[in-house]
Amino acid sequence: MRIQVNARNRAYQFDALPGEKILYAGLRAEIDLPNECGTGTCGTCKARLISGSIEDGWPQAPGKKFLKGKDEFLMCQCVAQSDLDVEVASFVYATDPGACQLRALSGRIASTRSLTHDVIAIEVALDAPCDFDAGQFMVVSAPGVPGMRGYSMVNFDRQTKRVEFVIKKKPGGGFSEWLFSDKAAGAQIELLGPMGKATFYPSLAKNILCIAGGTGIAGMMSILSRACQERYFEQFKGDVYFGARTMKDMFYLDELSAFCTEFPQQLRIVIALSDEDVPAAAVQRYPRLRFERGLVHEVAKAGMQGRYQNVRAYVAGPPPAVEAAIRVLLLEAKLTTDSIRYDKFS
Amino acid sequence: MSKKLVCRAADIPPNGMKECTAEGGQKLLVANSGSEYFVVQAICPHQEVPLCEGLFDGTVLTCHQHLWQWDIRSGAPMGIAEAPLERFDVTVEDGAIFVDAQGALNVGELFTGIAERVLSALTALAKREEHAAGAVLYRPGDPADDFFVLDSGRVEFQIGRDERTSPAGFMLKKGEVFGWAALLENQPNRIASARVLEKSVLLRINGKQALTILEADPASGYVVMRRLSALIARFLAAPGAK
Repeated sequence: MRIQVNARNRAYQFDALPGEKILYAGLRAEIDLPNECGTGTCGTCKARLISGSIEDGWPQAPGKKFLKGKDEFLMCQCVAQSDLDVEVASFVYATDPGACQLRALSGRIASTRSLTHDVIAIEVALDAPCDFDAGQFMVVSAPGVPGMRGYSMVNFDRQTKRVEFVIKKKPGGGFSEWLFSDKAAGAQIELLGPMGKATFYPSLAKNILCIAGGTGIAGMMSILSRACQERYFEQFKGDVYFGARTMKDMFYLDELSAFCTEFPQQLRIVIALSDEDVPAAAVQRYPRLRFERGLVHEVAKAGMQGRYQNVRAYVAGPPPAVEAAIRVLLLEAKLTTDSIRYDKFS
Repeated sequence: MSKKLVCRAADIPPNGMKECTAEGGQKLLVANSGSEYFVVQAICPHQEVPLCEGLFDGTVLTCHQHLWQWDIRSGAPMGIAEAPLERFDVTVEDGAIFVDAQGALNVGELFTGIAERVLSALTALAKREEHAAGAVLYRPGDPADDFFVLDSGRVEFQIGRDERTSPAGFMLKKGEVFGWAALLENQPNRIASARVLEKSVLLRINGKQALTILEADPASGYVVMRRLSALIARFLAAPGAK
């Protein structure tokens, strides 16, 4: 199918494969169509149908609440059934040269590992190597399992055939329940990616601040991994705030400790526990990490005073945590919006 | 223009903001900087998000959805925002806030925040035109004497001639400027066609005369040229390229 997208600044044409969602066909053609979650929630990829017919793959998608007219639709959920002319009411450009290109990938769940009572890590062995940037995510689906979910890569390696994701169990969440079941290990899955603009490159040349709630730490792990591989913290400071309710909900502390051991002067990692006092055993077990009681954005606000010079901030986690952290960064820290990158999962 | 009642001043705390319905039903955002009240459009020009759900620190308004920001005083976009906010002139009488709608020139991406006398000189130059759907404003090769400011409606651009044309974007927001070749040197002719897609109201301004006014006030002229170059760059370059 031939698809024409009329944007505010110009028109683009590209081809979509049978069954391919319009958004992904466009991204694959290196056209940076508006998108954020890629999974029908955020409404960012809405477009207006001018001519042709489409099939809506998920008529109940929560992101449809952002649609106004009957002729509007979500590009991440709809497939072209004929040649299409659509309109996007924003400026659209080609994807940045050098950005990792979105592709359809496949792989096998090589292992799953329990991180807490309701969080697991899964490792996917890809059928072909891929590139992604630190902080990006992929949209994952499994044959016969309803729904697609976006998950951030935890690891960072070039031309890798291995990606690791962190999954939180969501009661009633079709895909996460399937991942937690015994059917997942060894299963073949499909992935689309990489996506996401909350990325880190060493050429940034700024101090970095990461504020993560719960599984939002996933993308930060990739960022820290890349920064450590490139010995970024020899030149720049890193501040990481990772929040969860209690120590029972905490994970990756050994890995975070290892990052700190490499750069004890420049990398500071603070663990924020919102629902319990810091257990003495935790402090003893992880001498490289700092522990505080409180909500992660409040702990970050207290700890970051006077440390915002030349900072790029990354924020990820549940939407209320992300919004609270952004509020601190804009109103207290007076950071400009272009120095904040964030991922909001809903 | 007639004044419309928006709300009681006491309803808006210092450094606070609230969505209010003005007389006539229009939804507006009222913000209190502590010493002054400001009224802007209620909905983010990006993605239909109510701005009252965002952040306001007394000076800067932030939409929480994608962090677009504006200077509450002028409605001018800041940071990553791509469009200005429509701003309204405010009067406070007997504890009540009233507004007057602003003209498209004052809302627009080119002229917000320039000296009052320059703005009124440009306003005097502007000819208000109404066009029905289908009207063609210019074609490739036509002289590029005037530029246009959209007040309402929708205008589409095409590059090329006859059968060999391709869409080159469209304008749909109050205050958007097009036909800006009229403000450039050595660009005597149109390179695209502009067609009105739905009933539209435009301000037509002669480029040469506008430049004369801007030359007489270099500070305002500088602001306009800086904005114009940013505007042209949006149509040329991939933003984000460093």
